[in-house]
Amino acid sequence: MDPLAELSAEVPHLQASFDPVSVFGGVTQYIFFMIICWIITLVVVLVVGKKLTLIPTNKFINTVEYGYQFVRNDMGEGIIGQGFKKHVPFLATLFFFILVSNFVGLIPGCKPPTGTISVTWALATISFVYFNYYGIKAHGGWGYIKSIAPSGLPVVMVPIIWFFELFSLILRWLTLAVRLYGNMFAGHMVLGIFALASSVFLMAGIENIDIVSGILTVPWFVLLIAMYALETLVAFLQAYVFTVLSSVYVSLATSSH
Amino acid sequence: MEITMVLAALKVVGYGLGAIGPGIGIGIACYGCCVGTARQPELQGRLFTNFILGAALAEALALIGFVLAFIM
Repeated sequence: MDPLAELSAEVPHLQASFDPVSVFGGVTQYIFFMIICWIITLVVVLVVGKKLTLIPTNKFINTVEYGYQFVRNDMGEGIIGQGFKKHVPFLATLFFFILVSNFVGLIPGCKPPTGTISVTWALATISFVYFNYYGIKAHGGWGYIKSIAPSGLPVVMVPIIWFFELFSLILRWLTLAVRLYGNMFAGHMVLGIFALASSVFLMAGIENIDIVSGILTVPWFVLLIAMYALETLVAFLQAYVFTVLSSVYVSLATSSH
Repeated sequence: MEITMVLAALKVVGYGLGAIGPGIGIGIACYGCCVGTARQPELQGRLFTNFILGAALAEALALIGFVLAFIM
């Protein structure tokens, strides 16, 4: 059989493997891996928190501490500025959970919990509620509604600009969720297709003693490795972008315009 | 069968068209951030924050296209 025809016949199976298949009861495979990620995040953070020493002795603990400092200094102090300390736990939780989720998805056979829209909707909702809550806390209810539009506008323009700003405020909710979902889902689909292609071409090369297919396996495999490297970068970058945007939204909501 | 195939292809083409503008926009934003950082490295933090915010706003359009391709 022609390897290309076989590849296009196999792609629906690959797509079906991304469906939220039930593992047991109402728990789908994504939720199953989300629970695993919770446990990993909790264990890592609790163990490291217990064993924190002033002089670094353990490389692993030092790495996690560096990650926390990265969130605290780059995202907390750098973006929110004054009064950033009370937001650091929230940001660090988001960052570590999304980071662990994305990296668990890179292990072959595992699914990223962030590769389903329901989990990312939940994360985006948490972030949305959080920054609106702190905005209302900082400005008061009516003050927060007024502060959506930047001050210093001509009176006639205020309702129009206010409406557009409200639209972009609600759009933040959508984009936070869809950005993470789209990146993780599409990235894993690409990885799946390259892995499928290299295995299909290798099988065709062995079964039909077809040298061309056998040699074509090599570029597919090299591309797969390259995409893996790219996905590792994306997995970190998306966790970073989600957290940075959350902290930017918090700083926009709490700062006085 | 034929109609659904054409519709699926049109969705992908529509998403591709929708991704052109944000792609150019994020490119320009990244260019501005790089040039600004090269000229004034001490402002890197604030420039990068603004870049991320602008990229997020530009990317929103591509993401809306992505969502529409799924739900339409």
